[in-house]
Amino acid sequence: MTQLIGSYSMGLILSLLAVGVLISFRILAFRDLTVEGSITLGGAVAAAMLVSGWNPWLATFVAFLAGGCAGAVTGVLATKLKINGLLAGILVMTALYSVNLRVMGRSNLPLMNEKSLMTFAQHLGTAEQPTASGGTWTIGRWVIRTADLRVIGFLTVVIGSVGAVMYAFFQTNLGLAMRATGDNEQMICALGVEVGWMQTFGLAISNGLVALSGALLVQYQGYADVQMGMGMVVWGMASVIIGESLVGSRQIGMLLIGSVMGSVLFRLLVANALRQGLNPNDLKLATALFVLIALVGPSAVDAASKKFRTAVKT
Amino acid sequence: MLDIEQIRKTFHPGTPNEVRALQGVDLKIDEGSFVIVIGTNGSGKSTLLNAVAGSFFVDTGRLKLNGQDITHWPEHRRARFIGRVFQNPFTGTAPSMTIAENLALAARRGRMRGLGWALNPSIRHELYERVRGMGLGLENRLNNAIGSLSGGQRQSLTLLMAGLIKPDLLLLDEHTAALDPKSADQVIRLTEEVIRRDKLTTMMVTHSMQQAAHLGDRLIMMVRGRIIYDFQGAEKRRLTPEDLLDRFDEVRRSDLLDETAASMLQRQYV
Ligand SMILES: Nc1ncnc2c1ncn2[C@@H]1O[C@H](COP(=O)(O)OP(=O)(O)OP(=O)(O)O)[C@@H](O)[C@H]1O
Ligand SMILES: [Mg+2]
Repeated sequence: MTQLIGSYSMGLILSLLAVGVLISFRILAFRDLTVEGSITLGGAVAAAMLVSGWNPWLATFVAFLAGGCAGAVTGVLATKLKINGLLAGILVMTALYSVNLRVMGRSNLPLMNEKSLMTFAQHLGTAEQPTASGGTWTIGRWVIRTADLRVIGFLTVVIGSVGAVMYAFFQTNLGLAMRATGDNEQMICALGVEVGWMQTFGLAISNGLVALSGALLVQYQGYADVQMGMGMVVWGMASVIIGESLVGSRQIGMLLIGSVMGSVLFRLLVANALRQGLNPNDLKLATALFVLIALVGPSAVDAASKKFRTAVKT
Repeated sequence: MLDIEQIRKTFHPGTPNEVRALQGVDLKIDEGSFVIVIGTNGSGKSTLLNAVAGSFFVDTGRLKLNGQDITHWPEHRRARFIGRVFQNPFTGTAPSMTIAENLALAARRGRMRGLGWALNPSIRHELYERVRGMGLGLENRLNNAIGSLSGGQRQSLTLLMAGLIKPDLLLLDEHTAALDPKSADQVIRLTEEVIRRDKLTTMMVTHSMQQAAHLGDRLIMMVRGRIIYDFQGAEKRRLTPEDLLDRFDEVRRSDLLDETAASMLQRQYV
């Protein structure tokens, strides 16, 4: 049960990564690989600030801003310096590796007894003193820590608020223009929007959310690691793809909800696969294969069925 | 109103693919005039419109709109004054967004886009009225994705979008060429209506001699990156589709002559 709750919480945290990937890959149609560096950047900034005794809310917010800057740099490289978008992302991601090491001061930075948003969440609404085990509930043979439930509640509120803000943003004049930028660049340019600026701004928001995800992740698992971004783009894509098939709609609100649901579901699927004996070393291979199948599967099935039909006819 | 002074544009200069698309085009367009642009394939009609809209910068020459020099303005900056409809119905609209959202985007053409609701009730109401005014019955489908509409419906909406904020200049590049005859007629009727109602200064490229003869108050014909005919006033009014076809034949014949002359020279000298 604890494991299930853990997976659920992780899924919620990583849903911000999924929303970030949704914005860059789907809404802006920009293949942004900065994500791998910016999730670590968010984690590194938050961890470094927490260790130095900063307020966890402030640390998390600064992590968001740092991610936004990383995204903006990729945007400027791609739109002002006209570097290929994929390459711009790779350049920034690579540079961020060193930046993250600088920020953390070493490759792995544990949080010991620092106050974090998670310690804050664990004691929300109780006068209970922080203890190692805390209170528990027993339902049948399941024992649930109330602190874990509070964390889930807290994360749900945070993710819900971020999702609501993003949804509202995409209904504004600015947000509409951003969606149109990915949908039809030529049209939105003819309507007076500077496409390069809009993409840069979108990438900043996207990577800000990804870094926010990293900051929460670090506070949840209790350490930052310079390797933690590895494979996160594909992870985010998997969540987005699952989400799209779950909601089956292209509406922006549904896509946002789908990404969150997709992230949680994917995390649960992975946890289950690991329990069934999937070697953790094979996890990234499995994730990549999953995304590959989801990307080429539908068209391959189409082609195969067409071939089959013509074969039957002749 | 629009002053085009000696503009030239060469694509891929200095390569085997070099194309001299505009070779010194001069054109002054008065406020409120409706200019038809015709010409053979590849004669530079689209290039002329794109140069005015700012899709690229011209190599030499000047462009002035309302007395302002816009030669070095990027496309998105010129958009404040220019409305466009393209040949391809897919170019003018954002397919995965709704009709209302597309219109709301056009309602802020060239303006600041801030954090105000794009579709607040008053804008929604105004858009509803505008769409109803087109008489296509699309006003009850405002929340449908525009990608689900036919080409003719999309072109009609693009036209509405281009005129939603009154543009100083309307550019239409064969905007009915991709449509079936019935939709094309409908879009043309709408075009006339919009232009007449708002007295829009317009440049319209067309391949239809019917449209060229019957619409507009001025007609220019382009050949190989130059304007070779310019009919205005009574002269334009007298033009029939047959006259225009004759002119095309003339051009074709002189082109042929050029080619035979060139090959003769080649035989003599090479
Ligand atoms: N972006 C571009 N890059 C390279 N060549 C171009 C470009 N745009 C136009 N051309 C070339 O310039 C010439 C003029 O093209 P343009 O599209 O203006 O012709 P047009 O008069 O609109 O013809 P059509 O009637 O076929 O639309 C053509 O030879 C075309 O291949
Ligand atoms: Mg053309």
